[in-house]
Amino acid sequence: MTLKQILKSVGGLCIAVLCFTLFLPLSASAADIGNCLLCHKYPGLSRVDEEGNFRLLYVNEDIFRQSVHSKIKCEGCHEDIKKIPHDPVKKVDCFIQCHVVEPSTEKKFSHKDVQSFLEASVHAKVDEYGNHKKFSEDMPTCLDCHDNPLYRPLSFFKTVRPGISETAAGRCRVCHKKDEFIYRFYNHITTRLHKIRNPRNVAEVCARCHDNPEIVERHEMTTRAAYSYGETFHGKAAFFLSERVPDCLDCHVNRGQSVHQMLSSSNPNSITHKNNKEMICSNLDCHPKATPGFSAYKVHPEFNLEKSPAKYYFTAFFLILAGGTLLPLMGMMGLDLIRRLFPHAALKRRKKS
Amino acid sequence: MASCVIALILTGMPLKFKEAFWAPYLYNLFGGIHVAPIVHKVAGSTLLLLFAYHLIYVFVTIMENYIMPLKQKGQLSAGNVIKTLINLPIIPSLKDLEDIRDLLKYLLFISDKPPEGAQFTWKEKFDYWAPFWGIVIIGSSGLIMWNKELVTRVLPGEVINFALIAHSDEALLAMLFLFIWHFYNVHFSLSVFPMGTVFLTGYLSEEQMAEEHHQQYREVMTAAGLEDQMLPHHGTRPQKDAGEDVPTPAEDSVSDLSGEAKSTDN
Repeated sequence: MTLKQILKSVGGLCIAVLCFTLFLPLSASAADIGNCLLCHKYPGLSRVDEEGNFRLLYVNEDIFRQSVHSKIKCEGCHEDIKKIPHDPVKKVDCFIQCHVVEPSTEKKFSHKDVQSFLEASVHAKVDEYGNHKKFSEDMPTCLDCHDNPLYRPLSFFKTVRPGISETAAGRCRVCHKKDEFIYRFYNHITTRLHKIRNPRNVAEVCARCHDNPEIVERHEMTTRAAYSYGETFHGKAAFFLSERVPDCLDCHVNRGQSVHQMLSSSNPNSITHKNNKEMICSNLDCHPKATPGFSAYKVHPEFNLEKSPAKYYFTAFFLILAGGTLLPLMGMMGLDLIRRLFPHAALKRRKKS
Repeated sequence: MASCVIALILTGMPLKFKEAFWAPYLYNLFGGIHVAPIVHKVAGSTLLLLFAYHLIYVFVTIMENYIMPLKQKGQLSAGNVIKTLINLPIIPSLKDLEDIRDLLKYLLFISDKPPEGAQFTWKEKFDYWAPFWGIVIIGSSGLIMWNKELVTRVLPGEVINFALIAHSDEALLAMLFLFIWHFYNVHFSLSVFPMGTVFLTGYLSEEQMAEEHHQQYREVMTAAGLEDQMLPHHGTRPQKDAGEDVPTPAEDSVSDLSGEAKSTDN
């Protein structure tokens, strides 16, 4: 080996050691490579923006670490931040490419596909001809439905329950050596095996628009969806935190497709189309014996004379029956109490026998 | 029966008023969304079985006491059977309307004569027939919702919507009826406070008999030859001008009376 070769080897080694010492500790600690939390860890950090809105800029590190984006560095989403202290930042574009590599394609990960799903859905801002829909500004963007959700891992050892199963994690350790990696992927995978939100939370998210009377009226929707869902057993059970009842997404999204591909009920390809509706109820996990007649059940009932006169009069009958029965009886009770104070008083006395 | 109704109310009303502050606490007391519906179904099934037993009991009683005697007398005809059924003491009659009219006159201080109740007063008939109708409506709608797949093989799915409205609204009416009217009549009224015991013992006190079933009381006392020992009707002044104190019934007459004055008040 010549001296030149030895120097090359030593030089390469030095560069490798330098890289190792520079990057390893940072990547192992957290996603806060830019040390953004130096400022954003303070709860009072806030300002009033140019439009006069109060903006809280505090980031709770403990919560952020539990979130599904905890491994994404801040600059990954806030691309325009190049220096610290930084200028006012632009709104985050959720469809940019991240630094994360998607393992099945080994390409940089992006939520861009969601954009194409959304554009083909009932929530698209433009119609199939490329024209802007009426009131397209009401159509949801990512943040209207999504916050930065927290991991909800599931334990799958003997029984299914929330949390991480150490026994299951032990199986991961057979091949994977780093606990940090194991917990991260355990969270990543098991969180996605069920919904991040329970049915009640899903209904609450949809209610932001679908129960807003102005939006319902503007878009000529037939119902306040979350409210009427809440009037059914499904909605009531969801309110009491059942996770076994269907939520909005279970019925309004074609099975096996992204929730972002929700189609209008007038679209023949939609599962909510009148010709396909029975497939919603007869799902193996729901009512496998359901007939087409079963799916004629109105899952969004409204107490409304125009939209459902039969149900309106039926309900009114019971209300009148209740009032017509109870009010006279309560009146009699009140009179009886007074009468007992003056048992012998009367305008007409009976004749003494 | 009462415990079934209470269990049904406690496990049903939190669903109807889900956003009330007490609803989650009460529902969780019965095991929450995964257990309370089972409690509700068990209580509902038990009540329906009791109702079925009651129907059989009533049918057999009517057959034994009214229809078979007709047959033995050779008077069994559709007309006679209908006439007999209409004249059963628990069936609402014109007398009940007259009693309601008399009660209103009495309560409004127009008259000092309260109605003279027969074996079953109009209040008792109301207390019987209102839950009877209630069990039919709530029970059938509950069964429809429970067996919705089966029902919708024959009937359209919207039947479930109507069943839910009927079940929920009729249950609310039944609950309020029981808690307000029934409780007043058998618990809070000054005549029975703290509780009427006839549903436990099968007997009424003579005072209650004289107050609420005066017509039958008079018939029974007259038949027993105790007319001179009758208690005065409620609201009636003691008749001292006859030169006698208000008569006090002898103890043996009370026991004689109570034996015959069984009431089905529950």
